[in-house]
This record gives sequence, structure tokens and C-alpha cells, in this order.
Amino acid sequence: MDLWQQLLGGFITAGSPINLLWAFVGCALGTAIGVLPGLGPAVTVAMLLPITTQVEPTASMIFFAGIYYGAMYGGSTTSILLNTPGETGSMVTALEGFKMAKSGRAGAALATAAIGSFVAGTLATVLVTLFAPVVAKYAVLLGPPEYFMLMLLAFTTVTAVLGRSALRGVMALVVGLAAGLVGLDQISGQVRYTGGVPEFLDGLEVVLVAVGLFAVGETLYTALYEGRVKASLNKMSKVHMTGAEWRRSWPAWLRGTFIGFPFGCIPAGGSEIPTFLSYGVEKKLSSQPQEFGTSGAIEGVAGPEAANNAAITATLVPMLTLGIPTSTTAAIILSAFQNYGIQPGPQLFQTSAALVWALIASLYIGNVMLLVLNLPLVGLWVKLLKIPRAPLYAGILIFATVGVYGMRQSSFDLFLMYAIGLMGVLMRRFDFPTAPVIVGMILGPMAEAQLRNAMSIGEGRWTVFVERPASAVLLAVVVAVLVLPRLLALRRRNTDSPASAASTAA
Amino acid sequence: MAALTDTDTGAPAQRHTYQTLIGAAAMALGLVYAWGATGISSEAGYSGVGPNFLPWLVAALLVVCGAALVWQARSGGFRNFEPPSGAEGGDWDALAWISAGVLLNAAAIERVGFVLGCALCYVFAVRGLRRSEGRVAGGLRGTALDFATGFLIAAPAYWLFTKLLGINLPGLTGTGWL
Repeated sequence: MDLWQQLLGGFITAGSPINLLWAFVGCALGTAIGVLPGLGPAVTVAMLLPITTQVEPTASMIFFAGIYYGAMYGGSTTSILLNTPGETGSMVTALEGFKMAKSGRAGAALATAAIGSFVAGTLATVLVTLFAPVVAKYAVLLGPPEYFMLMLLAFTTVTAVLGRSALRGVMALVVGLAAGLVGLDQISGQVRYTGGVPEFLDGLEVVLVAVGLFAVGETLYTALYEGRVKASLNKMSKVHMTGAEWRRSWPAWLRGTFIGFPFGCIPAGGSEIPTFLSYGVEKKLSSQPQEFGTSGAIEGVAGPEAANNAAITATLVPMLTLGIPTSTTAAIILSAFQNYGIQPGPQLFQTSAALVWALIASLYIGNVMLLVLNLPLVGLWVKLLKIPRAPLYAGILIFATVGVYGMRQSSFDLFLMYAIGLMGVLMRRFDFPTAPVIVGMILGPMAEAQLRNAMSIGEGRWTVFVERPASAVLLAVVVAVLVLPRLLALRRRNTDSPASAASTAA
Repeated sequence: MAALTDTDTGAPAQRHTYQTLIGAAAMALGLVYAWGATGISSEAGYSGVGPNFLPWLVAALLVVCGAALVWQARSGGFRNFEPPSGAEGGDWDALAWISAGVLLNAAAIERVGFVLGCALCYVFAVRGLRRSEGRVAGGLRGTALDFATGFLIAAPAYWLFTKLLGINLPGLTGTGWL
């Protein structure tokens, strides 16, 4: 079969010593930054974007994917042992994982998290292998109106579904859109919102905003408000699961995988929803419900952790086939593609087939590497948690400078980075989500171009969006996404939702 | 509880004032964007929407969302508000130290070079972070040690860029080593 031929080709490329090395370094670095509080995969990939000038595309994509993946594995270690999840996706792991670790079962929690991540990551990669080419085949048929609707769907889900307040989500998205407006208009070449500052002509770099919001903002926030917060490190125990724990884990892994994957595929913005959903399902189905929230239930770690990794893997489907990023890190990896002059989209599977298949093959390899890195070697990463906070965050500032200044050697960018860091502090303090800013910044200009192209096709009529069947269906989905959750929320207003249980326990 | 209202946490009145200010700032930004949008051509060609369409939309959304935030802040605070983690009051001393570090670096990096600028930034930032933990940062010896640490973090990163990636970062000397 053609598919297997191509996948085999991918394995041959990804299996070359140099690419294996990139994958390994990516996985190890990813695990490290996942373990370290204060640095996430988005910022790390952003800071490493300058390597795209020297390293060939396949190698750097394998490297970035390894970081993205590794951070998820590493993040669970921190949330189990330290109860400070660095990634939104590991928030739920922290609920039960930390409780398990407190009652002396850290080892089992770490094991089920790592093995669950492996199972889910591998299964999800199989699904990507099977589905992505099919999606790409059909995506070729989509025109600007459909693309615009897909992006509108991404905007809707990232703001209205995620987060506690749709209003604050929309506000964050609009700030991202506003930032994306700065610079030259793609279609007419008109200058917009540069205020006469030549540095703004190229537009605001996503890297700059991501590093400012996440790295600098996080450092400033920590110093401002969290200096006196004492983190308590749980004691490690032998990384091992009993037979009973295996029996309780594996159904949760599978359920988590199948909950997580669809959420990563559709533009639903990250892994927050599937992990909470999986947590709720496990809590309902568990044979030991009394362990949830008390001594820690292993299903509550296994399910969400699997859902997280499946969702992360599945973000590759919309990113590679449609060029639509559904998470912050995916958005930044997308700009890495753009650095190479490669535009992800349905044609990618034809024009850059070798790259795509090597990337997919590297995910299989990376999952195996990460399992080894995170199970037998977990003790190594735990040592990272002992780095004191002050030098850690001060060091992060140096890396932030490297990333931002290395981009175009302008000290103006460093001042801007600081200002965006301050905005990040405000956003965190006043409970604004940050992911919509990045998604809005990246998708905003793309959506604008698609809108204007679509309107050209429709000769200036807005009805073009309902006259084309695919576009009309997508529009209906957008409306459903806006309306359905509100109906559901009304229905279960009085029942205990996983989200509320989550914040009580945290 | 996820939907903790403001009244459950301390100093609600003050927080509502800040929330109002944030909403007002968003509205102000919206007005600035609207003013900017007036200067953008509406030349739309066949499409009916020109380069000024999204600017106007963004400006309008900023004003509307800002107004909604102000309204929420004035009527009991932001809805579904998760109280932020950490202390109630900010440690402004610590913030000042870190800010000084970052801004000094930005101002000086092209004169003293990347490595020294970053090491300087590290010295200031680490001092600020320690102060926030209530620890008094050391004297001359401690500062020298911090500088050395910052140097040891910045230098390899610098070499990675100048030597391996061939990216030109500013140095004190033209050698690419410092």
C-alpha cells in the first residue's frame, strides 16, 4: 500500500543517525523544560526558532516535535511531585497525581502517567498516520470561504469553549487580532498601525509575543506575587505498578486516548477540555470512587494523561493538513514552517511528503525514547525540581533575550518584550486566557486574507458563505459550538462538574 | 469552587477598581484603533471588504468588550473569576529590580555586547527574585558570584548563536567570543 510505503520512507529518513539525534535531543530538552516550572514548549520552540536558518527543515521539525511531546511527559512529573502544573494539559494530572504522591504512591502515578502517555501518543500517531492523508485529500477541495469558516471555528472554540469566561476569552482573542494587524496588509500591501515606527513594518513577531507573555510575564508574576509561596516536593517512591494498578490503568488509557484525539483534531484549542472530560469519565466509571480527591485514584492520572497526549498528537492533523494551529505550540511550529517558506496545508502531503512522513515516523520513535527517558530515568529529571527558583527564573530571562534578540537583532524588540511581559502579568492576575492571543495573532491575518478572497469569489456578497454547502455546514458547526455548551451548562447547573471539583482540590 | 465571586476574596472594592481600569484601557485601545482605521483605505476591489474592514471590526470589538468588562467590574466584578494565585499584594521592590535588569540589558546590549548585557540582567533579576522570597541578596561577593553565573549561562548561548548558527549577535569585541 502507498501509505505504508510512505511511512516506511519516513522511518528511513527519521531513522538516520543525525535525525535520531535531533529527536533524542528534542525529547530530552522537552522533558527537561516540561519538568522545570516557568518554561513551556511554546516558549522553548519560540526561542529556538533561529535554528531554522541553519538546520534543514526535516531535522528541525523532528526536533521541535520532540520538544512539544517531551514537555507533556515532563509536565506530568512536575504536577505529580510538585503540584504546580506548568502546562494547562497537566492541570488535571496534578489533582489525583499529587494526592497519590502524598499518600506514598508517587512511583505508581509516575508510571501510569508515562506509560499512559506512551500508549496514547502511539495510538494517536497511528490515527494521524491513517487520517491525515485522508483529510488532506479532502482539504484540497476547500476554498477560501471554507477556510475562513474553519478559522472562525478555531476562534470560537478557543475563546468560547475554553476558559471560564467567554468575554475575557474574546477580549484576549481581539488583543491577538489587534497585534496581528500591525504591519503590511497581505493583500493590498497597505501599511497599518505602525505609528511611524519602522520596526513595526514587518509586523509583530509571534515569538516576541509568546516569549513576552509566557517567559517574561511568568518571571515577573513569580517575583511579584509568588515569592512567599513555598512549593513542597513529594517524596519519590519506586516507579512500579502492581497488577491491580495495571488493570485499573489500561482501560483509562484507552478511554483517554479516544476522548483526547478528536479534541486535538478539531480546532478546539488545546488539551484542557479533553483532560477534564476524561477526568469526569474516570471518576464516574471508577470502581474506587472514594479514592478520588482523597488518597488519589490511579484512573484519574491515567485517563487525563492519555487524553492530553492524544490531543497533543492530534493537533498535527489540522496543522499539517489545513495549516490551522489549534494550540500555542502548534502555532509557533507553524511559524517555523513559514520560516522555511513551507506553507502547511493540503498540498503539504504532496509537495513535502518526505518531510511530513519523516515527522510522523519520528513521533513513533520519539514516544519510545520518551518512555525510556521518563520511566527508568525519572530520578534524573526529579533533580531538576531542586533548582532554586531565583536563578531558574533569572536564567529564563537570559534565554528569553537570546530568543527575542536573536530573531532580528533589534534592541527595540527587548523593550517590547518587557512591555508584553507586563501585559502577561495583568492577564494572569485578572484571569484572562493567553492562548487566544497567540492563536488570534497567527490566524488573524490568515483569516482576513481568506475572508477577502472568499468575498472576491462571491463578488462582494456575504451570502457566499451559505451558498456553498461545505461552508454552510461549518457555519452551522460554529453556531452549535456557541450555543450547545450553554444549553448543556443550563442542564447540569446543579450537578457536580469536573471543573468545579478540580479547582476545589487544587 | 470555580465560580468564586469577588466578594469571597479580600479587597474586592480595590480589585473592582482595577478591573474597571482594565476594561477602560481596552475601550481606549479600541478608540485608538478606530482612529487608526480612519486612515486606512477602504479600496475593496471585487471583494467588498477592504484593508480597513478588520481594523474597524477589531476597534469595535475592543470597545464593546471593554465596555462589557467595565459593566461587569461595576456590577460585582468579573464573572466566573478565578482568584489569582499568590499573594494579595505585589512585591513591587522585586518587580523593580527585575525590570531594571531587563531594561538595562535592552539599553546596553548593543554597547557592551550580548554576554555582558545578559549577565548584568541576571544579576539584577536574581536579586529581585531573592528579595521576593524574603532573602536578602548578598554583598559584593554574592553579586560577583551572580555575575559569574549569569556569564556562564549567557556565554554558551551566545557561542551557540555566533559560532554554530552564524547569527550575528552584538559583542564587546568583534570576535564572536565575547
